[in-house]
Amino acid sequence: MDRTNPKELWEHVLTQVELSVPPAAFSTWFRDSRIVKIEGGIVYVGVPSQFFRDMYVKKYHLLLLKIIRAVSYEFRNLEYLIVKDERRKPPREVKSERPTIELPLDDFYINKSDNLNPRYTFDSFVVGSFNELAYAAAQAAIERPGIAYNPLFIYGETGRGKTHLIQAVGNQFKKLYPARKAFYLTSEKFAVDYTDSVQQGAANRFKEKYRQYDLLIMDDVQFLSRKEKSEEELFHLFNYLHDNNKQIVFSSDRPPLAIPDIAARLAGRLASGMTIDIGEPDSESRMAIIRKKAALHGVYLSDEVVEYVAGAIGGSIRELEGIVNNMVCHAQVKGAAPDLIEVRQSLRSFARPQKAVSVKQVVSKVSEYYGIDEESIYEKTRRREVVRPRQVIMYLLREDFNVSYPTIGTKLGGRDHTTVIHSCEKIKREVIEDNILAKEIQSIRTLLV
Amino acid sequence: MRIFLDKKKFADAVHTCARFAERRAATLPVLGAILILAGKEGIKLRATNLETGIDLALSGECKEDGVVAVPAVVLEQLSAALSGEGALELEHAGDVVRVVAGPARSSLKTLPYEDFPALPLPEGKSHFAVQGTLLKELLVAIASCSSSSTVRPELASVYCALSGGELTLVATDSFRLVEKKVALGKGGTGKFLIPAKNAVDIAQALPAGEVTVSFDEHQCAFSFAGGVVVSRLTNAAYPDYRQIIPKEAAAEAVVLRKDLDAALKRATIFADAFQKVTLFFDPKKKALGILAKNQNVGESADSIGAASTGVPLELSFNHRYLSSALALTGAESVTLTAAGLGRPLLIRAKGDPSFLYLVSPMNQ
Repeated sequence: MDRTNPKELWEHVLTQVELSVPPAAFSTWFRDSRIVKIEGGIVYVGVPSQFFRDMYVKKYHLLLLKIIRAVSYEFRNLEYLIVKDERRKPPREVKSERPTIELPLDDFYINKSDNLNPRYTFDSFVVGSFNELAYAAAQAAIERPGIAYNPLFIYGETGRGKTHLIQAVGNQFKKLYPARKAFYLTSEKFAVDYTDSVQQGAANRFKEKYRQYDLLIMDDVQFLSRKEKSEEELFHLFNYLHDNNKQIVFSSDRPPLAIPDIAARLAGRLASGMTIDIGEPDSESRMAIIRKKAALHGVYLSDEVVEYVAGAIGGSIRELEGIVNNMVCHAQVKGAAPDLIEVRQSLRSFARPQKAVSVKQVVSKVSEYYGIDEESIYEKTRRREVVRPRQVIMYLLREDFNVSYPTIGTKLGGRDHTTVIHSCEKIKREVIEDNILAKEIQSIRTLLV
Repeated sequence: MRIFLDKKKFADAVHTCARFAERRAATLPVLGAILILAGKEGIKLRATNLETGIDLALSGECKEDGVVAVPAVVLEQLSAALSGEGALELEHAGDVVRVVAGPARSSLKTLPYEDFPALPLPEGKSHFAVQGTLLKELLVAIASCSSSSTVRPELASVYCALSGGELTLVATDSFRLVEKKVALGKGGTGKFLIPAKNAVDIAQALPAGEVTVSFDEHQCAFSFAGGVVVSRLTNAAYPDYRQIIPKEAAAEAVVLRKDLDAALKRATIFADAFQKVTLFFDPKKKALGILAKNQNVGESADSIGAASTGVPLELSFNHRYLSSALALTGAESVTLTAAGLGRPLLIRAKGDPSFLYLVSPMNQ
């Protein structure tokens, strides 16, 4: 038996329970339950309603605990959760011919009064070492909204779960404080809303609209760059909300001070609360995410498959989700979760085309960045303003594009490969100590993508 | 246990409770039973099927305390068959309970009651009070419009939203939608989803007097003088249905409810296998045409007087969805507002802003 597989563990528990509980009680109390997750030594059992939870706590807790302890001592305790109806296995139904058009209800599960998608909750959020700080800060912000961390600024690359986290903040806030108002929007929506209101001559109504909220969540705030008037509006809105101790949450793909072309006073304010980045998920976290996403669809994947997928796909959780959906679809069509060979097959379509950036391109971008003549990079000159960029180019070609030392040497005006090695090592050392250089390289990297 | 009860009251209480006992055979036997408790808190009847549950107090004399579980079906049959008025004695001895009503003596087999679950009450503080008669009527009416399929549990539920001193009840099966509002006069916010079939059972058990409804995330309770009814709640997101209510009107007709009802009844005879009837908005003639055609039966064309505005428009509907709307309101006249071809039709009661009904048309 695989101890970490909830399905197998639960099956084992059931066979044990069946021996010590009368058949009628067994079919009543255990038929619709299952293990939802195993986390930190605690086994979470999903039950259909409070009737069941009370009964489990009162009558079956000791029995179940004894059984799972016998499996492994790493299980410390059992907890009972009432599972959501939508996560339960729906009964199969034969759809009859209905000539009446269905009301388009499906499109409206997003609540328009607060714009939050109810699917994004903390229940479905996987916490790993890469995002635990952001998660903790979000929890603190919910517990003491407007006081603990205001504003909360979360940044990270695309597909790291920023939107999920900040929407979960909104949904949790709604749940805890039903009388208060939360609102989620993207910065792009904010800008459009502003221009619309100006067009209609209703700028005051625009101000009023956003000032009524107790929690404002703004996604992808970097898109406000170069929209001066919208920035100014946000600045005033920010001041109003902040002064009144209303919680504000932002997300962006880069830290506040690195957002280009944004007013300094706004950038400063964005950074004034808590700024946290969500890094790249490590492979264990990726595995946990794959398991969780698959389990949400009721599909249990074997360990080797999970491991393989986690290894094959890099940072973006969105891509992982795409692959999980692919496997879920496979499981639904064929009636069984895919095995390693099949996953390998289907992963080919997900394989990203290798970034093909020519040396010339890197040279032109870097020289443009430093404001020097492209030709001078290839020349034998040792002027200081040229040497640094040249070294940076060598470093980038080696680190990011895995070009061999001799090739770099030949392409950059026939230099010896030891020169190249020396340059790469030098920059590598300096990047750690020199913050300015690190920042420069970071911005060059964004130019190259 | 030894108790004395009024025959009539006992029969009524058993009848109410029996609805909440489990009717399927394949579960825990004690769930198919009514639990009779006699003790310091008086005499109580209790039943549950794990979806809903009831706890009902009964006036009577308690000679000896005790608890006993009796199969609901048998107890209901027996208590319904007791004729005339008078007292009834229940005495528990061994594994039987003796029921003595005048000269009639019967003894019923009992079930072990140790497995009988406790009724879970909501833990939160959210609650509101409403008249039992009103709530009863509303729940039954609204629940009939929810989906009978359990594929989407939220649609098989009645949505209750509390805000600004107003209770809004909504149900939809994705082909039509009904919304009713009730003024409560007191503030409070919150929302919950009661499974529709539980709502019907609960409505039957509610008394006419004031009922306090309390709820949390998973459970709700309807408490009233002498009892409490609980139900599990559907734990799912409800679609933001207000978005699909059309705001524009292409054609509108105000008709007498009785006229439309009668005309629909006539048209129904000629409806086809899909129950299709066609409404024709005719602003020129100030009329609403109702057409139905069945290849095997024949066809009918009808017209009723209507204050009609907008453009001429023809829309087909399942006649059941139309007539069920008319049954939900007592208003004299109703307003039909069509937003256009293939768009849902809005039915409102003239002079009653608390009622709203939306029905989706058939493919032309």
